[in-house]
Amino acid sequence: MNNVAQYALEKALKAGVNKVSVQVSNGRKDEFNIEANNFSLMRTLFEDELTLKVITNNRKGTMSINKLDKDSVDGAVEECIAMAKASAPDEAEDIAPLVKNENFSRTIGGADKQKLFSRTQEFIQELKDKYPTVSTDMQTEFNHTKAIYLNSNGVEFNDEAEWYYAQPMFSAKEGEASSSFNYYAVAADNLDKPFMDLGMLRTLIAESERSVKTRMVDDKFVGKIILTPACDDMIWYTLLWNFLDTSSMISGTSRWKDALSTLVADKKLTFSSSPLNPDMIVGERFTSDGFLSQDFDYIKDGMLNSYALNLYGANKTGKPRAANSALYNIEVAAGDTSLSEMIKGVDKGILINRFSGASPGPSGDISGVAKNSFLIENGKVTDAVSETMLSFNVVDILQNIPAISKERCVNGITVLPWFMFDGITISGK
Amino acid sequence: MLRDFLSSHKGAFKDYTELRAQINTNQRAVLVSGNMVANSQDSEGGVSARVYRGGTFGFASSATYTPEGVKNVLSAAADNAIFMDSQVKKGKPPLPDTISGNKGLVISPGLAVPQSYLIDFIQAIDAMIVKKFRNLSSRTVVANILNMEKQLVVSDGANSHFYQPRSMVYVVMTADTSDGVPVELYRPLGRLGHFNEIFTDPNLLERELDTLYESLMKKRDGIFPKAGLNKVILGPKMAGMLAHEAIGHTVEADAVLNGSVASFNLNKQVASELVSMVDYAHTYNGEPCPLPVYVDDEGIAAEDAILIKDGILTGYMHNRDTARQLNAKPQGNARAFTFSDEPLIRMRNTAIVPGVSKLEDMIASVDDGYYLVSSGNGQADQTGEFTFSVEEGYEIKNGKIGRALRETSVSGVAFDMLKTIDMVSDDMHWDISGFCGKKQPMTCGMGGPAMRCDINLGGK
Repeated sequence: MNNVAQYALEKALKAGVNKVSVQVSNGRKDEFNIEANNFSLMRTLFEDELTLKVITNNRKGTMSINKLDKDSVDGAVEECIAMAKASAPDEAEDIAPLVKNENFSRTIGGADKQKLFSRTQEFIQELKDKYPTVSTDMQTEFNHTKAIYLNSNGVEFNDEAEWYYAQPMFSAKEGEASSSFNYYAVAADNLDKPFMDLGMLRTLIAESERSVKTRMVDDKFVGKIILTPACDDMIWYTLLWNFLDTSSMISGTSRWKDALSTLVADKKLTFSSSPLNPDMIVGERFTSDGFLSQDFDYIKDGMLNSYALNLYGANKTGKPRAANSALYNIEVAAGDTSLSEMIKGVDKGILINRFSGASPGPSGDISGVAKNSFLIENGKVTDAVSETMLSFNVVDILQNIPAISKERCVNGITVLPWFMFDGITISGK
Repeated sequence: MLRDFLSSHKGAFKDYTELRAQINTNQRAVLVSGNMVANSQDSEGGVSARVYRGGTFGFASSATYTPEGVKNVLSAAADNAIFMDSQVKKGKPPLPDTISGNKGLVISPGLAVPQSYLIDFIQAIDAMIVKKFRNLSSRTVVANILNMEKQLVVSDGANSHFYQPRSMVYVVMTADTSDGVPVELYRPLGRLGHFNEIFTDPNLLERELDTLYESLMKKRDGIFPKAGLNKVILGPKMAGMLAHEAIGHTVEADAVLNGSVASFNLNKQVASELVSMVDYAHTYNGEPCPLPVYVDDEGIAAEDAILIKDGILTGYMHNRDTARQLNAKPQGNARAFTFSDEPLIRMRNTAIVPGVSKLEDMIASVDDGYYLVSSGNGQADQTGEFTFSVEEGYEIKNGKIGRALRETSVSGVAFDMLKTIDMVSDDMHWDISGFCGKKQPMTCGMGGPAMRCDINLGGK
């Protein structure tokens, strides 16, 4: 693998390009699949990948192939150079300088296929025994990857990692009534605990059973919602894709494009990217640009501290580069209110486990339906809701966050508390 | 073009076996406000085998597509099937033989389109936008080619070679409202075919750019709709989303086995009698469908799946296994996205069948409501509850189109909402621009006419 990376790098340089980076990886995935609570398939993937980036006269080309033989690599290098030559010149294109080379190893002794099967079987059996109305499709996996990154500035990183992963998609059914489906992913570096005990999985499955019978909100009101850690895409990924990432900053559509070091949210909010946090299983160790990854805060005590800019985006906009490119390892600092106190503080609102909504535009206006969610009435969680639509602007609701929970949920991918937001338009049919 | 290293291994099949070689190539060039933010190519190819034994499958894949590589994945898939059979012990009989598909190439892989062609094309589009339209705060132009080639042999006789090039240009325009809030509209353009044969001249897209800009200028001054239940004309571009997301996913047999709303509604009235819906395999009205499928990845000869006929739910979409479980005929819906993906039940070209009304009469019939033109994305679940974004929409007042709408979304429960449809237009609009997500992505066609209905709108 190292030889392939070195060969591709040298071939591109000999062809006369100015800057090159190469990442070569191989891996293996072993996966069990469940359909409607029954084992359906075992899948084994043998994976190879070479990703090449060349810059010549400030023109960039990127090529990715999944073959590592000499002919394929030769073809990829030649095509990538041709692509770069056809591109438009841009002085912002660059690769990382050499600072410090490192090797990372996060192996866990290889796949325990029999134990992975047993944990999967145990999960299904527990569903049948304790949650008999719940049916799930599911995949459970063992993953092994080995990667090397080289660039023409002398940067070299090696990383080998192994981890387990499970993602059930489930719903409950009684007669002709059923809950909405829900899904949840967990990652782990061992199989010591049952999957059911990871993250919010048990809670969500139990709540699925409670969501078979639903109530419609019969009016329209502006009220509070409590967002659980399972509903991570409604706010946090919306902020990343629309206000913080390279594309929204270069296009100028980010509403926060000039907001660095200003208050953009309630001072209770600290929102971070934390791939090095030990709770994040197999967090990123080096960026796709060739920098060592570090944890950082997007928002610190309500103030915008960093965008999610890659090297090109940083050079293009003149703003600082983000300290990692792991957009998925998000963390939000705990608050000072217990979840039970938060719920007691809502006269009429909704506890949101999943939000099915349209992708928001750059305005931050969002509307969609509350799924696997419950009414909160007079400080108590009551009935599950259906056909209940939420409308709000994500920039506006961040300005006043009434409470963030003391408790946080760890699922191997994110570390998030529960949040209370106010000013949400909630409408029934 | 893929060489055939598969056929010679057919003699080694012991249990039901699929052997598939596949290569997906993806070319992409992206200009954001004139900056070339992406100029990339991906090529992902290899071979996979799936073996059925006793009620479960074993699957394996490798990027090494050589005679030796084929042998290795067959062996690994068989090992996985044996492991599963020994652990799970379902004791089911072999999958029954069925009507096998045998089909050679319908479209031949052409010469690769040079990346420079994509770059030149989008630079010309971008220059046209800059020259013509003054009130934009941002623009994005994307060229994308996805070529998919598959060879398949199956133990019960199927043998197919398939090639599908999808060529797209996406244009996004953004403008700021008077209070500085950015709003955007996008337009996907493209179809099945080679990029340089579809997009021959950037100037031919000028009219599309004009209408996109005009619509955005209206949206910039748009209003939010009234939240709640409203009388709505869903335009033809929205109907495909409805057919795919809100209805189509509930009638996939794996969802049915998980208890979807369709599981207890077979042969029942689920929609107004004006509504019929079909998952077309490869031909619509005597013409090739937007993304035709002749043989699926289980080797089944593909045929149309009639899902709703005159408002009655008449059938589901199947793979071989669910067809046996539910005593139905598989019709070619098992498809895999990459060589390393197993076939899943997927839609092909799913559409509401056009009716007889005229769109202009339908709009004129609404005193107070909305005309929803296009959607960006949508989601639904097995209860049939759905949400779609509304990218472009207008209010209707006294039968006339009024002010444009800002971003909003619609929601409802499919089998309730479908019963409120009381007019169906004679239009038909197909869309192939997106990807369906279900463990794997997949290209799908979706289509339909305009429909008058009652639907829940987000808003203020």
